[in-house]
Amino acid sequence: MKSFKFKNHEFQISLDGILFWIEKKIAIISDLHLEKGSSYASTGQLIPPYDSLETLNNLIKNLEKNKVSELIFLGDTFHDDQASERMSHETDLLFKRLIKTYKVIFIRGNHDNKLSIDGVICCEKYVLDGIHFIHEASKENINQVSGHFHPVASLKVNSKKITAKCLVHSENLIILPSYGQYTGGLNITKSPLREFIDVNSTIYLLSNKSVYKLPVSKIKNLL
Amino acid sequence: MLDKLKLEPINNWLKKNNWHFYNHQLETVTKTLQGYDVLLVAPTGGGKTLAGFLPALEDLINNQHPKNQLHTLYISPLKALTVDVHRNLLAPIQDQKLDIKVETRTGDTSSYKKARQKQAPPHMLMTTPESLALLLASPEANDYFKFLKFLIIDEIHSLVNSKRGDLLSLNLSRLETIAPKCQKLGLSATVKNKNSVLAFLSQKNKSITINVQERSSPSIDILKTDIRVPWSGHMASYAIKDIYKKIINSTMSIVFVNTRAQAELVFNKLWHENEKNLKIAIHHGSLEKEMRRKVENMMSRGLLDCVVATSSLDLGIDWGNIDLVIQIGSPKGIARFLQRIGRSNHRLNEPSRALLVPSNRFEYLECVSAISSIRENILDEINDKEGSLDVLAQHILGVACSKPFEVNELFTEIKNSWPYRNLQIKKFLEVLEFVKNGGYSLKNYDQYSKIGLNKENLYTIKNKNIRNKYRLNVGTIVESYMLKVKLGNRTLGQVEEWFIEGLNEGDTFLFGGRILEYQYLSNNNVIVRTTKDQQPKIPSYAGGRLPLSSELSFQVRSLISKEENWKNLPSQISEWLRLQLKFSNIPGPEELLVETFPRNIKNKKRYFLICYSFEGRNANQTLGFLISKRMQRMGYKPIGFVATEYALAIWSMNMVEDINILLSDDIMLDDLYEWLEETPLLKKNFRDAAIISGLIERIIPGQKKTGKQIMFNSDLIFDVLKKHEPNHLLLQVARQDSYRGLIDLDRLSKFLKRIKKNIILKKLNQISPLAIPLILEINRQTIDKSEVNEYFLQELEEQMTKEVGLN
Repeated sequence: MKSFKFKNHEFQISLDGILFWIEKKIAIISDLHLEKGSSYASTGQLIPPYDSLETLNNLIKNLEKNKVSELIFLGDTFHDDQASERMSHETDLLFKRLIKTYKVIFIRGNHDNKLSIDGVICCEKYVLDGIHFIHEASKENINQVSGHFHPVASLKVNSKKITAKCLVHSENLIILPSYGQYTGGLNITKSPLREFIDVNSTIYLLSNKSVYKLPVSKIKNLL
Repeated sequence: MLDKLKLEPINNWLKKNNWHFYNHQLETVTKTLQGYDVLLVAPTGGGKTLAGFLPALEDLINNQHPKNQLHTLYISPLKALTVDVHRNLLAPIQDQKLDIKVETRTGDTSSYKKARQKQAPPHMLMTTPESLALLLASPEANDYFKFLKFLIIDEIHSLVNSKRGDLLSLNLSRLETIAPKCQKLGLSATVKNKNSVLAFLSQKNKSITINVQERSSPSIDILKTDIRVPWSGHMASYAIKDIYKKIINSTMSIVFVNTRAQAELVFNKLWHENEKNLKIAIHHGSLEKEMRRKVENMMSRGLLDCVVATSSLDLGIDWGNIDLVIQIGSPKGIARFLQRIGRSNHRLNEPSRALLVPSNRFEYLECVSAISSIRENILDEINDKEGSLDVLAQHILGVACSKPFEVNELFTEIKNSWPYRNLQIKKFLEVLEFVKNGGYSLKNYDQYSKIGLNKENLYTIKNKNIRNKYRLNVGTIVESYMLKVKLGNRTLGQVEEWFIEGLNEGDTFLFGGRILEYQYLSNNNVIVRTTKDQQPKIPSYAGGRLPLSSELSFQVRSLISKEENWKNLPSQISEWLRLQLKFSNIPGPEELLVETFPRNIKNKKRYFLICYSFEGRNANQTLGFLISKRMQRMGYKPIGFVATEYALAIWSMNMVEDINILLSDDIMLDDLYEWLEETPLLKKNFRDAAIISGLIERIIPGQKKTGKQIMFNSDLIFDVLKKHEPNHLLLQVARQDSYRGLIDLDRLSKFLKRIKKNIILKKLNQISPLAIPLILEINRQTIDKSEVNEYFLQELEEQMTKEVGLN
């Protein structure tokens, strides 16, 4: 867990990639890509079917450790429009428990742009205290929290390369790492992600053991 | 013998060229006519390939055989070899105007030609194991192969002990079902255990090995030089001037190296020496195909003076008049060395000429041992290998693509394949289940299964799409994702993606003999420009390191164990050993020498423990991990270890008292599992198994995205499986491959048994002469690259040689 200020509000990023807005008791999570496994399976790549269960179990476990009453999902919660139909009974139960326990807001992403769930807010944008919660970062000059890019960063430590998920924090924006079990990543040095990063940006690297705060300007070995 | 065999046209052609049949060629025909499957074991050159084709030619010349029926299938491990053999075989056929149609079929064959070959098969088809698998997976396979009379497998020894061999063997078994009367011929280089190779070829009672002795033993020397042989390192830079002189004095030479990085460096240094403007070229697997073909072409036409090459030129292609083979670094195995030497004077009756250039002192010992092994006809053993289950999964899907199968019939057929002879029905069904739906205990995927039972209770593929996907994923070779290197509009070749990821813009590296500056990545092309930089960052490609063979390791231990053997060594080497004997000890062939001594690292006192196992880097690496773990538990506070081919060095904060506990053979039980689970190797092997077994799809060439983005990241699957299905088939495969491969488990356990009660412990007050290369290696491997320069190492070296009293 690492704390930082964004627009004078206190935030915390957890080791597994949940962003907590402390005073509001809100947890922000991005890019779960539920049922990505079965989406591949339907085209012949039978990768293990445990991803959704694993993702939701982790999420629930980590939410319970914190005082949270509201969840904002920043889009691509489901890997595709048919994903919820493919969910196993067990996964479905977990998902229902989640939306029953908390007040939940779903931002739609490019993978689930038709998302609608009875009795739950599903929208393109959600604004709270002047902070815009959206799926993909915008070039507009607004205070924003988004996901979409699955940022990862590579570092050289003792001539070994380490690559891990990270949260990007620039002046007006936060880009969250992806939360889903089967989600890969886009390196922060690669376009278009790098266009949202400048010398004053900070990244929070989620390594195996702890969260590292690294100002971009001071990272000599940032690949 | 010749009179009875009706081989006039071939004999006439040989006579025209002033050649004649060799006895082993005629014997091969005779035995085949008697109904035998034949394994022909012969050194390179000497008409081995012709011998393989003679029975088929005899049959086609003397007996009526319908057109458009496949008569003979030739399989070689190299595409280039099929092309070469095709050309050589056409010479007598065209010269004698024989009505025999011969064609090649590989990944390079146009789809138009492939379609025609299916409609109207030639008499003889030359192909690779992968193309054979594809042919057998087509619905017409049965009709295509049912008239097959002869099957020839070239360089069979190179296929036996690999996943590629597993795939081939399964398909041989399949061919046996389709064409039971087909006779098989295997062509092999000289190996120790010929029986395993024969069994791989054929399990018929009527099978036989024909063995051809080396007629003239090759003349091999070690480079004589006035310069001191380095203590450590692998680049042999010290010898470049001498090597250049040898190149000048030969008509055409090949300089063999063990890694692509060595190839680049040696090539670069030779050009710096090249006052006489000799035509020197470079050849390795990363270079653009056209560039390689160009070099090969110029070689066969005798237009070059020298080629620097990796194993890309190892196998049996006739490259023209090579009269000198130079091997830089130890060849690491006797068989490989013989094969490389065989590149020179590619004729049986002339001796091959070869020169060995050891790149450090231990390698010098290896080179001496390799030469005496060849003189005494000692050969490497090919270790038998159980058939891999990921390959079996691929094969089962292939069979289903061809036609519906019955489970028990297929099981029986698979048991006829030599690597799978011990397969249990339970395992087989587990693999079948995996092919069906991924083999997960959670049955979510039954609706997506790839194969299923039809009305006749036979397994068949669910739809045509599965066959198309199978076709794109066939084969057992999994390569790293490669990026094209572009200089302007020219493609120079390919490098692994991870290598480029480690570069920063402006970094320079050697490639294709040039020093290139990395600019940027665009559409999966590595954009470079030439530079005048003289100090490139050298590419350290993966997969270039060859392990020291067990046989050669034994020979090295025997060589140093007796003082009388040292008299043939140059004085700098024998003096080194003599001093070691005086200072510490030299182990016997079955003994293990362990030394301990204190030494300062960065002004802190450390205790070194050195085990001279001579068991290869992989086994030493594993041993290093296991011993460090135990030392940790016993409170010795180990700090690090370094493994080389010959020894293992561990340094710790406290001095080790009891060696026997550290090296008892139960050490394997304790921590091995943990070691395995921690190695990146396991993940890599898992990825390969996931691709070979068809769980995730290969990267299709031409798709625009980097490898990581298209291919489902296998590391993610790995983590999930480890948690939910720790005994999943693919994890089993990955663990097995890891035990066999880098960890070299088998060898390590033999080693621990061997040294029981045979450990000589020497507690020294300071570094021993034999330990100097290791301490240098530690500094090479552990100190930050920016701090290590040759100057630093030189200083350290001088200091240490002074300590032990060597000059």
